[in-house]
Amino acid sequence: MRRIIRRRELVADDARYAGEQAGPGTRLVPPAAQFISAVAAGATGTAGDAVLIGPTDEVEALVPHLALLKLIVVEFPKIGEGRGFSQARMLRQRYRYRGELRARGVLKRDQLFFLARCGFDSFDLDPAENLEAALGALDDFSVAYQDGSDAVVHVQRRASAT
Amino acid sequence: MYRYDQIDQTLVNERVAQFRDQTRRFLAGELSEDEFRPLRLRNGLYIQRFAPMLRVSIPYGLLSTTQLRMLAHIARTYDRSYGHFTTRQNIQYNWPALERVPDILADLASVEMHAIQTSGNCIRNITADHLAGVAPDEIADPRPYCEIIRQWATLNPEFSYLPRKFKIAVTASPADRAAVEIHDVGVRIKHGPNAAIGFEILAGGGLGRTPILGKLIRSFLPQADLLAYLEAILRVYNRYGRRDNIHKARIKILVRTLGAEEFTRQVEQEFEASREFAPRLEAREVERMRGFFAPPPYQQLNDSIPEVGSVASGTPTFDAWLRYNTRRHKVAGYRIVFVSLKKHGEAPGDMSDGQMDALAQLADRVSFGMLRTTHDQNLVLADVPQSALPEVWRELDALGLATPNIGTLTDMICCPGLDFCSLANAGSIDVAKQIHARFDDLDYLYDLGPIEIKMSGCMNACGHHHIGHIGILGVDKHGKEWYQITIGGSSTGPAALGEVIGPSVPKDEVSDTIARLLEVYVRERRGDEERFVDAVRRIGIEPFQERVYETDHSPA
Repeated sequence: MRRIIRRRELVADDARYAGEQAGPGTRLVPPAAQFISAVAAGATGTAGDAVLIGPTDEVEALVPHLALLKLIVVEFPKIGEGRGFSQARMLRQRYRYRGELRARGVLKRDQLFFLARCGFDSFDLDPAENLEAALGALDDFSVAYQDGSDAVVHVQRRASAT
Repeated sequence: MYRYDQIDQTLVNERVAQFRDQTRRFLAGELSEDEFRPLRLRNGLYIQRFAPMLRVSIPYGLLSTTQLRMLAHIARTYDRSYGHFTTRQNIQYNWPALERVPDILADLASVEMHAIQTSGNCIRNITADHLAGVAPDEIADPRPYCEIIRQWATLNPEFSYLPRKFKIAVTASPADRAAVEIHDVGVRIKHGPNAAIGFEILAGGGLGRTPILGKLIRSFLPQADLLAYLEAILRVYNRYGRRDNIHKARIKILVRTLGAEEFTRQVEQEFEASREFAPRLEAREVERMRGFFAPPPYQQLNDSIPEVGSVASGTPTFDAWLRYNTRRHKVAGYRIVFVSLKKHGEAPGDMSDGQMDALAQLADRVSFGMLRTTHDQNLVLADVPQSALPEVWRELDALGLATPNIGTLTDMICCPGLDFCSLANAGSIDVAKQIHARFDDLDYLYDLGPIEIKMSGCMNACGHHHIGHIGILGVDKHGKEWYQITIGGSSTGPAALGEVIGPSVPKDEVSDTIARLLEVYVRERRGDEERFVDAVRRIGIEPFQERVYETDHSPA
């Protein structure tokens, strides 16, 4: 059973992607292009409420449909991929997306804190990662200089900061 | 200088703990080399030819004597008793053991220092004018703004996995000693309407294998918008900078591909769209930061340079040192002193633990316990009373730190090259020694006037060869070390990239080639005031090419 971190808990992965079979308790997460064309075809009911976006997908294209969405999965296909951090920050801050925002891919515990600060609240890490140990990484830092979209971490900032 | 509060101290302490655990996981086999690489790099740790190399951050080049003593302690305890000051105002250690790096970081944290973001694809150390706060020509002290940018950039959650490294430099002087045009983002402090402080912003500059000067993208940015605008630039770059090819991933390639106008439009659009959420730099925060960089308690003194000269009469070396290694200070009675790390026989930028300790003691006595590092790999005692100059000279001379060559040909800058670096194609330190040996006549150097030689061991251009008046680039030709020569480069007034004079030359001919270039300059120069680089600009590179490559080489 695949597991993910959701809001600081280890839970079964409920997402199924292209080429996988959705069963009881799971849902299909289509790629952005497929989701958007399903919506455009007027098939709101069948488009579902989840979408997977890759590094080159523009979050702006999802904006008209955010009210439909309960889960956005952002993919990090390579070590060092960083576009997803901006995608998350924009979804949370500028477009006020309030549903679940999941980071998925070649991610280790070492990226967890930054991901959480950008607004991710669930994490589908590298299968080789020790998830119990990874949970602790959400508390790697108790302080920060920047404003964040913190849902699952708490940091102290300087009172006089901007 | 800036002093840590509980937030800053907690942050560096927690970073030490995090890195200690990452190192443990790597050594235990829980992290592969590929997984560990981006983690160690963003903490300044390279795996080099013989050992790891650790780069320690010196924010905008400002150091207290407590910190310099710690750098000496680290050199002694974990390395081979020396450190190497870099062109980005940092210091590198070439021989630490990987498993001891977390202990080094803990030692650094105890004096408010770290190695955070000194490498890797993230925002690097913010660099600035090394004469900030004491230069007579500056509009405002850039350091409060540097510290503000440093904090914003440190462990920034959105911009920690950029396409490539990102360097920001700040200057407040027309002389631009920070070379802002060769940075990913250059910030020039300027006066706007009603004498309000604001910024001119350049983007897309950089050296490396595709040298480009930065483009002006904003002619006046109000102070309050500094961080918001930087966020807009970084977000456009993070989203659209290339990630498929490491050689095309810097922001300069994005700016060049889009065109400066279209890039500017995208940044401005992002800036407008984010206005509501972006950080606003409040005037009181700037004031708070300014408080950290208040002038030291200067005494009421009169300028007394002539007197100092008379004290030293009969000691020509002192006079030369005074002339070449010191500069005018904005406060009467004080002088800026350069500590030369360009002694013949030493690798440019290297300093021993003993020199560091002794220099710290001297700075405590004569310069308010503070020092600076420069882009040219020297150090600076910024606030020396003129009456102390003979004593300072004597002590620096005894330490081998008073070579009177600042701004001359032998004040070369130089990367570690093939001797240490796994990227290098050719050696640079021994070429520096060759040049030192060839041009050991100080009077000749003084006759030549200001001339900058910059040397890199490979096209990554850590030695900034493109902007050297004479640039030297090490290349590999069939397993042999050869050197490509450029002339006419400059970091300031106006910045320019040097032109290649022709085919590269073998190692043992580098100093002969330079001698021929200088021969042409001496023949062609108009008066004492025309510098080498000015002459190249005026007459072009052809006369130099002719002399260097003429077939019948009479001895240069």
